[in-house]
Amino acid sequence: MASFVHLHVASAYSLRYGTAFPPALVARAAAHGMDTLALTDRDGLYGVIKHIQACHAEGLAPIAGVDLVLRAHDHHTARGRRAGVHGEAGETRGDGSAGDGERRVVVLARADGWGPLCRLVTAAHHAGERGEPYVTREMLAEHARGPSGEPRLVVLLGPRSDVGRAAAGQRDEEARALLAAWRAAVPDVVVEVTDHYGYRDANVAARMLGLADWAGLPAVLTNAARHLDPADHQVGNVLDAARRLAPLHARHLEQSSQAYLKSGEEMAGVAERVCGGDRSRMARLLAETRRVAERCALDPVEIVPLLSDPPGALHLPEIGGDPVPMLRSRCEEGLRRRGMERSKEARERLAAELDIIERKRLSGYFVAVAGITDMIRGMGVRCAIRGSGAGSLVNYLAGIGEVNPIEHGLLMERFLSEGRRGLPDIDVDVESARRLDCYRAILGRYGEAQVACVSMMETYRARSAIRDVGSAMGLPPHEVDAIAKAFPHIRAKQIRAALADLPELRDSGLNDRSLETVFRLAEKLDGLPRHIALHPCGVLVGNAALRDRTPVERSMLDFPMSQFDKDDVEEAGLLKLDVLGVRMQSAMAHALDEIERVDGVRIELDAVPRDDTDTYDMICSGRTIGCFQIESPGQRELVAKLEPRTMHDLIVDISLFRPGPVNSDMVTPYLEARHGFRRPSYAHEELHGPLRETHGVVVFHEQVLKVIDVMTGCGLSEAEKARRALDTPAGREAVHDWFVPLAGERGFDPATVEKAWKVLDAFGAFGFCKAHAAAFALPTYQSAWLKRHHTAAFLAGVLTHEPGMYPSRVILDEARRCGVGILALDVNRSGRHWRVEKAAGETAGPPPEEPYGETPEGGEATGESLTLRVRPGDLGPRRQDVDLGGGADSGVDGGPDGETGGFGRGYALRVPFSAVRGVSEAEVDRMVAGQPYTSVADFWDRARPSRPVAERIVEVGGLDAMYGLRPGGPRWRPGRLTRRDLIAQVGALDRSSAAGVAAKGDTAAVQLPMAFAERVTPGELPEMTEAEAVEAELAVLGMDVSRHVIGFHDELLDAIGVVRARDLLRQRNGAEILVAGVKVATQTPAVRSGQRVIFLTLDDSTGPIDLTFFESVQAHTAATVFGSWLLVARGVVRRTGARAVSLRALNCWNLVDLDELWRAPPPRGGIDAVRALLDETPESGGGVGGRPIEYGNGYRLSPYSDIGPAPGVRDAAAFLAHPAEPQRRLWHASSGSSGPTRTRGR
Amino acid sequence: MGGRSVLSRLYGDPIEVWVRDGRPAQFVWRDRLYAIRQVQDHWVVAREWWKTSDTDPGERRFWRVEAGMGPGVGTYELRFDTASRGWLLLRAWD
Repeated sequence: MASFVHLHVASAYSLRYGTAFPPALVARAAAHGMDTLALTDRDGLYGVIKHIQACHAEGLAPIAGVDLVLRAHDHHTARGRRAGVHGEAGETRGDGSAGDGERRVVVLARADGWGPLCRLVTAAHHAGERGEPYVTREMLAEHARGPSGEPRLVVLLGPRSDVGRAAAGQRDEEARALLAAWRAAVPDVVVEVTDHYGYRDANVAARMLGLADWAGLPAVLTNAARHLDPADHQVGNVLDAARRLAPLHARHLEQSSQAYLKSGEEMAGVAERVCGGDRSRMARLLAETRRVAERCALDPVEIVPLLSDPPGALHLPEIGGDPVPMLRSRCEEGLRRRGMERSKEARERLAAELDIIERKRLSGYFVAVAGITDMIRGMGVRCAIRGSGAGSLVNYLAGIGEVNPIEHGLLMERFLSEGRRGLPDIDVDVESARRLDCYRAILGRYGEAQVACVSMMETYRARSAIRDVGSAMGLPPHEVDAIAKAFPHIRAKQIRAALADLPELRDSGLNDRSLETVFRLAEKLDGLPRHIALHPCGVLVGNAALRDRTPVERSMLDFPMSQFDKDDVEEAGLLKLDVLGVRMQSAMAHALDEIERVDGVRIELDAVPRDDTDTYDMICSGRTIGCFQIESPGQRELVAKLEPRTMHDLIVDISLFRPGPVNSDMVTPYLEARHGFRRPSYAHEELHGPLRETHGVVVFHEQVLKVIDVMTGCGLSEAEKARRALDTPAGREAVHDWFVPLAGERGFDPATVEKAWKVLDAFGAFGFCKAHAAAFALPTYQSAWLKRHHTAAFLAGVLTHEPGMYPSRVILDEARRCGVGILALDVNRSGRHWRVEKAAGETAGPPPEEPYGETPEGGEATGESLTLRVRPGDLGPRRQDVDLGGGADSGVDGGPDGETGGFGRGYALRVPFSAVRGVSEAEVDRMVAGQPYTSVADFWDRARPSRPVAERIVEVGGLDAMYGLRPGGPRWRPGRLTRRDLIAQVGALDRSSAAGVAAKGDTAAVQLPMAFAERVTPGELPEMTEAEAVEAELAVLGMDVSRHVIGFHDELLDAIGVVRARDLLRQRNGAEILVAGVKVATQTPAVRSGQRVIFLTLDDSTGPIDLTFFESVQAHTAATVFGSWLLVARGVVRRTGARAVSLRALNCWNLVDLDELWRAPPPRGGIDAVRALLDETPESGGGVGGRPIEYGNGYRLSPYSDIGPAPGVRDAAAFLAHPAEPQRRLWHASSGSSGPTRTRGR
Repeated sequence: MGGRSVLSRLYGDPIEVWVRDGRPAQFVWRDRLYAIRQVQDHWVVAREWWKTSDTDPGERRFWRVEAGMGPGVGTYELRFDTASRGWLLLRAWD
């Protein structure tokens, strides 16, 4: 007898429902001896391509279908709208579950029904709210038949369908009427019976069988599978709870312990139950199931063309003509335009490239991409090719990119070659702020029906899994949040290992038995898809049949979005173009606009000479915060050692600064050879050619190809294949066995071959595509040039578009160090974004209009409790010789010289309205449009801010200039207005507006009487202290504007003898010193030893301080490093370059704790107590556990290093750390960094 | 349904059950042997595993059967616990 076929199967791509991935389901079906398997995920075809690939690999026939919510026709309005959308990236979706009463149908594509299935899914998403697709019987009727009425889809009416619900409710009349309606609407409709051994399941199934017989419709048996194994139902329960936002309780759960992929024998048992032992009915049921499967089996290659070699039909855009001559003539024209007509090399290379492109039938792809890049440039958007596509001469000649591959020695084989499977990928960088404009333009040109963005699946990782499980287990939300954030960004399955391995977690309250179940379950969610999101750059450009090839839903921003990810899209033969928004391009565009506005000069950035000494001097001194690609602590150290002086040096620098090269120790030999400490070594003189540019060290992929080619003579295309294989140990072995004899045949002696192989073995997999690096180096140089010569404008761009890793307050510190003034928010001067203001005079003096110009007077009113935990008394004994009060100069006091500092003098940055927490775009629009304002009432009336926003603006001094206010000084000033008086007045204005006193609509700029409805007496409330002002700035703006926070601790820091950053270079190597500062960044990069090393960067207002915490000290320091914001650390000075110093940390303390101890009365507190604490020898605890991940060439790295992609650093706009700490993101925490662990008070 | 008495009695007595072809065939309750004539219903309920510390507390399988001792026939509900491997007679309509 033919095998049973599962027609109703949900994989993990049924979000928060299924638990098994398509390949595992297919493998299980194959193990059961089944020859066909369906995948019918909920709400979409997210997993279908992977299902078809897996079926093809296992030799099964694939069936594709979908499980959709069914609604009645007249029920178009959304019902039961779910409360709140959860999820971190915002692009969240659920299944719109309406509890047990939800109706669903399963729809299968018949053998020729793939197109209609895609269109049906698209229509379902179009009909529903985003993330809540549904179909009606009418929609199904419309899609279920082809042009001449032939059936294309099969509709399965199961126990969850309207028919099934009626049958379960014993409403036979209704069930019959529904069945008749279905039969009239859809040509191929069958009844689906299922039995999960739940109470009455078998009865319902028997009833439905009776209905099918009554109607003369076929009935099929399914298991509505959602698991691979019975035990997976626990995960299913957790997902049910997470999906429904309900605690785990039998009431909310589906009975799913039987909903696994049962064997044919088990299904025969189910059939027997359902048929009540009637053998012939049973046989008929199974035979009908089989017949449906047979008419739905799909041809895998038709849907996934890349399964065959050469690939099946690709789906290229319509370009209105034969693409082959079009591309040829465009390239010919390019040869002329680029002045390469007479170059034999160029002509030969062009002919070779076109030959491959035409044989792969890809001409239309290049023509289409060229049309799109033309269009983007025509819109005035900065646009550059990136990645391997820069290696193709065709791309250069067709005008897609501006990099001449011949000039830079770039190879096309890295991009497209005979032996390379798959479609080439052209990546284009545009200004991030214009990326969506570019998408819209592409949509406009090709029409919505032919364009879709690519999606990506966000999967469960440790933090998200803990969140969902914690909620399901009924833990309070704030506790769930704190627990989740305590973990670094690791995989969910590492949770319990991390608790044991990492000292900061091991000694926290998290190692509590009560949380054991939460963690155990969270681990089980590891890697399951959680929600779908828009891919950051992929755009599909297809033809009129695109909607027959991929289902499309709407993204958060309302773009049409394919349900396929980038891999699926390629497998499905669809053309993709990556249009990546690059924030640095926007930042630089903003800078250029500001320069023009303030100085009246329009700079042509691409025309700026690439050999500016001042720019390279700045880079060599490591002053690169804010610059593209070279601002991280590690890069600052590397540029200081490498001392780049040319664009080529920058290309090498960028290529070297990657985990592979750093760990394989490519850096040291390169630096030694570069600086002449060591002679470059070459395995053979023939390798001089490819390796000379990097002193004998393999840095680029292109060099790997050339080395392989030189040694074996295999040609670059084969060499590229070999290079790709070097990624895995097995591949390396295979390449070795191929390489050694071939090189021997070419006449190289065994020692040379062995030496050359060692080079490939060690570095081959880690090289960097030179085309990538070349594409990066240009904006790197340009950003550095802007920073050096137009510091304020450049930093305005950086602050506005946030291109880098550092939060605003760090950029602001850098601005101060460069001599750029920082001007407070001012309702009459601030703009939408960061703006540059010219300081009067060209001297280094503070800007004339400085809001906090004087040194504050002595302290008073001690004992005031402050959440910053700094008392106003701190201000008293502060050193008078340091001009901390100045917005302009706080960082560069003590004699700034041109080299280390003030190249930004003469300009200042104005805090913009958009920096205010919670301000809406519409409010910003009104605030800018209404300028100037004459009073708080005027501002309130015409800018119409919300009350909290108005209060925040007053709190950070937005009205100080108007009223001549200044925080600090005597707190009580009867008769003189204070910020707090104004805040009270905002409250009065709000109350009178609410009471209807305010003039409606008409916004004549008059002093409204409401300002006096509740009269606020000037000086009635005390002025803010300086500490309070800074605290407000941190809370409202996320940065300390008026002064650096560390300034509040100067007295204590001096008392304990802390060394300032600017004096570090004067410390002798090996000295043990104390340093202090504000945390700027923590990173745990992959390092060669396989340790988890924590790099901490502090800032003490005179410069950055880089510290390294090795595992030996992490037992007593890790929790403090991750959990504090202001730190004091003890470390040993290590000179790493002529101008570079870093510290090997021995111990560290939370400065806030030290401060509190210092203030406490003796004997507990006081300076001696602080000194005693600092001198204590730390207890040696356990180190960091976890087995390092080991690579074939001996390269090891800690499982807790920053391996994965960096977390969305700027998604976390609100850093909800300690309740007592400011609520904005104040430092950079890499993916391997843990969060604070002290919040859990159990 | 099927003339069965509406009223049932709850017991919860441990019993011994003989299983044939994956279904109960006969059982001994209070020292009497009952032959199962027909399975009327069978369903399975997963345990509320999150309330226990066991990794897999298993499931409970319920059987409602028609069984008799001699000429008298009654309906009985049996329960098998996969974790403890034990049978209970839950209730009886007799």
